[in-house]
Order: sequence, then C-alpha cells, then structure tokens
Amino acid sequence: MKYKTASRLRLLLIAIVSIIYIFPFFWMVSNSFMSDKNIFAVPPRFIGDLLFTDAMFINYKNVFTQFNFGLYTFNSIWVFSLAAIGQLVVCSLAGFALSMMRFRGKNLIFSLLVITLMIPVQVTIIPEYFLFLKLNWLDTYLPLIVPSFLSGAFGTFLLKEFFSQVPRALFDAAIIDGVNAYQMFFRIYLPQSSSPMATLFIIAFMNNWNDLLRPMLYISSRKLYTVTVALSQFQGQYEVRWNLLLAGSVLSVLPLIIVFAFSQRYIIESTMSSGIKG
Amino acid sequence: MARWHASVPVCKDKLMRHTPYRWHKPLTPWVFVLPTVVGLLAFKLLPIVSALYFSFTEWSLLGSPLFIKLANYRELVSSEVFVRIVRNTVQFSFVYVIGSMVFGLALAVLINVQTRGIAFFRAAIYLPVVTSAVAVGIVWNWMLGPTYGVINNLIEAMGMTPPYWLADMKLALNTVATVQVWKMSGYYMIIFLAGLQNINADVLDSARVDGANAIQSFFRITVPMMASTLFFVLTITIIDSFKNFELIYAMTKGGPQNASNTLVYDVYLNAFVYYRIGYASAIAYVLFIIVALMTIFNFYVRKHLVEGLD
Repeated sequence: MKYKTASRLRLLLIAIVSIIYIFPFFWMVSNSFMSDKNIFAVPPRFIGDLLFTDAMFINYKNVFTQFNFGLYTFNSIWVFSLAAIGQLVVCSLAGFALSMMRFRGKNLIFSLLVITLMIPVQVTIIPEYFLFLKLNWLDTYLPLIVPSFLSGAFGTFLLKEFFSQVPRALFDAAIIDGVNAYQMFFRIYLPQSSSPMATLFIIAFMNNWNDLLRPMLYISSRKLYTVTVALSQFQGQYEVRWNLLLAGSVLSVLPLIIVFAFSQRYIIESTMSSGIKG
Repeated sequence: MARWHASVPVCKDKLMRHTPYRWHKPLTPWVFVLPTVVGLLAFKLLPIVSALYFSFTEWSLLGSPLFIKLANYRELVSSEVFVRIVRNTVQFSFVYVIGSMVFGLALAVLINVQTRGIAFFRAAIYLPVVTSAVAVGIVWNWMLGPTYGVINNLIEAMGMTPPYWLADMKLALNTVATVQVWKMSGYYMIIFLAGLQNINADVLDSARVDGANAIQSFFRITVPMMASTLFFVLTITIIDSFKNFELIYAMTKGGPQNASNTLVYDVYLNAFVYYRIGYASAIAYVLFIIVALMTIFNFYVRKHLVEGLD
C-alpha cells in the first residue's frame, strides 16, 4: 500500500514537470492559430481564435506565400540528407578502422576526435570561413556538405562502439573464409549496422537542420536559405508579428518532431549507451 | 549540438579487445581513416594554428593581414567590455552547469520507474533537445515578453510585479542560461538515467531492508555509485556551457549593452559584424585556452580521482 501512494505522487510530479517541458510547444502551436488581434489579448488566450474557422491556416499560408517557407524546407531536406549520408560514409569507415584494426597513430586520431568535440565551433570558424572564401565556395552549399564527408567525431564513436560489439565469431568465420579488409567491412560488418547507421543519419540530420551559425555565414542568397536561417531572418524582420513568427517556428520544428516521434527510442538509446561509456 | 560529444575516451586495451592481432595489410587502415584525417587537418588543426596567427594581426578579410604582434591581446586585457564578457561567460557556465546537473539528476531519479506511458514523458522532456535554439528562443521570447507574455501576465495575476526578463541588465544573462538549461536538461537526464539503471537493484533493496529511507539511500548509495556518471556529466556540461551562441543570438543578441554577451557570441560579433578578424581571433584564442585548460584538468581529475571510484 505504501509503495502505491508513493508512486502515485511520483506520477503526479512527473506530470507536473512534463508540463514545464511541453507548455512552450503547446503555446507555440496554439498562438500560431491566432489572429493579429487575438494574439495581443490581455490576459493571454490559451486557445487560438482561428481554430476550426475558415481562416484557420491563414498564418501558415502567409508564411508559405510571403516567406517562401516551402523552398527553405526543401533546401534543408536535400542538403542535410546529403550531409548526413557523408557522415555515414566517413564515420563507418573510420569507426571500423578504429575498432577492428591495429595501426600506429590510432590512439592519436582517436584523441584528436575527442578533442574536436570539446572545442566550440567559434574557435575554428574564422579560418574555416577564410578557407571557403579562398575556395570560392561562399553562397553555395559546399561548405555545408563537404565537411560532413570529412570526419565526424560523434558518429565515429557511435559506430566504433557498435562494430566492437559485433560477435567475434562472425569475424573469425570471415577470416577463415579468407576475406580481405574491404570485404570484411562491406560484406560482413556494414550489413549488420543498419540500426546504428539509421540512428546516426537522423542525429546528423537533426543537428544540421538546427544549426544556425554556419549556414548563416556561408549562405547569403535568400533562395538558398536553410529553414533555421530563414526563421532567424524572419525573426529579425517581423519582430512584432508573433502569430506568423510562431507559425514559422512550428513549421521549422514539425519535420523534426515527426522524425523524433518515430525514432525517439533509438536516439535516446544511443545517448544512453554512448553517453555512459568511459 | 550537444549530442556530438556523447562519448568519452576509452582506454587503450578496450580498443584492442576485439582484435588481438593484425589481420589486414599494414596500410589498409589508413585508407579507412583517410577522410577523417583530411577533415581533422583541414577543419580542426589547420584552423587552430591559423587562428593563432590571425590573432597577432589586424585584418578585415580584405587585403592581407597586418602583423601587429600582441596588440590585440593588449587591447583585450584593457577593454572593460571584454572583462565583462569573460565574467558573463563564467556566470553563464555556472548557472548552466549547476542547473543542468541538478535538473538532469532530479529528472532522472523521478522518471526512473517502469510504468505505462513513461516513455511518453521521457520523450516529452527530451523534445527541446532536438528543437532548434532559434525556435526555442522565439517561443521563450514571446512567453517572457513584458506586456503580452504569458509568464508575466501570470505573475501579475498573482499580484506581483513581474521583471523585465530580457531587458533588465541584471537578469538577461541568467534568463538565457535558464532557458538553455530547460532546453538541454533532458539530454543529461538520459545520461543520468543510464547511470541509475547500472546500479544494482539488490543494493538498494538490502538498504531498504536495513531501514534506510529514500533520502538516505539516495545520498549514501545512489550518489556514490554514480560518481563516474556525475563526473562525466560535469565534464560535458562545462564543455556545453560555452556553446551558447545560437540561443543568445535568438533571444538577446548579447544585449542589453553586452549584459548577455559571452565569448562565443563576441567572436561572431567582432569577426562577422565588425570585421575585426584579428581581434576576434584573439577572443577565439582566449576561449580556446580556457576550453583546453578545462579539458586537461578533466583528464587529470579523471585519471587520478574518478577511475578508482566505481
């Protein structure tokens, strides 16, 4: 009996705490369905006045027509999908070498990857910007895509950890069959790794989608904007049109929430397993 | 952003555990790690070295850098704004680290139950982690607004005078730091949760049989057995606490009057708004040295204090 009440109290607490985390999202959605007048009501209304009226999606329509949000969403989807594929390629190769092979310099590469996770991007952004300026890559997507094909620390650790847990028997059997290193990677290990690869794809995609600094610096043409840059520009321009701004926020968040809803188990599990190692 | 460091160094024998012998040609691994090595050189090592050089120059990205030795650093040290920014950075870190550790652990302890629907709550608390700082900044700016914001209206309804969360020079930095804690605490909760689930349930059970109450067993068993997790989260919250550019950009742009300006934001401001590349590089280098010292300190503490604990 004692445990039952304790756990009810705990459930109540969990529910209250969750409200703190959900409420801003609720507020974002409900206020995005408000008319210009209703959104400035004092005290604030909780439910949007446009809901279930003919003009229900007027803010969303405005965001699409006046601010071309569809194009920016499309840009983000294909650019960051490509970047995420880059992460899969480079991180699976490096993760395999770091977990399964012996070579001098392995620990050095590993340590350098760890260190790069620690350093804020602002430390290296100025020379990086200069590099892309000299390569004449500014205002193209190359600075957002090419680096993803050249090293990613988190993905490398995730896949290294995964490869080292593939049953040893599989490795031994393949050795007896006389496979070389490339066959071992492409034919034996890679087909095993669809689940961590999917997780890595989603995490890399989400991180890039949410990134502001790099796309803001490297992209200047409006038609090339990513969603997050567009939203940030939108915020600067329409400071007082909160209903439109919040509709834009919902649109920028929605694709990720949908992906997250389907993959949250794997994302959270990867945080749990890779986060605790050490 | 934070999920990029979800791993920490693993000791050497662990790397070798799986393959005790070299089963491949000596040069093959280098084919596999070639892109990684190129990436590390081009986007990490080379920039770190050239940022040091830039920090000794005066330059606006146009023309060639003018070598002025230590003048940028001298200007930094004598600048009141810079002293303020360093203080802000430390204060932000302090609020962020304490807030994230306390909330992360409390949430993990709270949510560490097996009930139907618990996955929903876990996901709900994690949701801000996968949301962009820009969207988070927009909605919190709206909620914290002076006249129409829901939070201030609520405070007024309770008969109190609400503060100007983002316009008050004393409050702005702490407000942004708190929102950042709100955004990221779900992430640390998950790491703590993994640590909690590693604790042997028998130990907690036998403590209960011996008559320990919940608070005793939390401080006498849970916390000591989580020492390495606590230290790990401490490490990554310190590292994460410097990565606050996006939320500051979305919420305050460093204002009012540099009240919420931090090192990472000031690098951006000087480099890409004022085009003072040399000066910005000097700020970036101060940041780099602070992070490097923190990292070395962490490795040292881990090696000498934490590894033996559990």
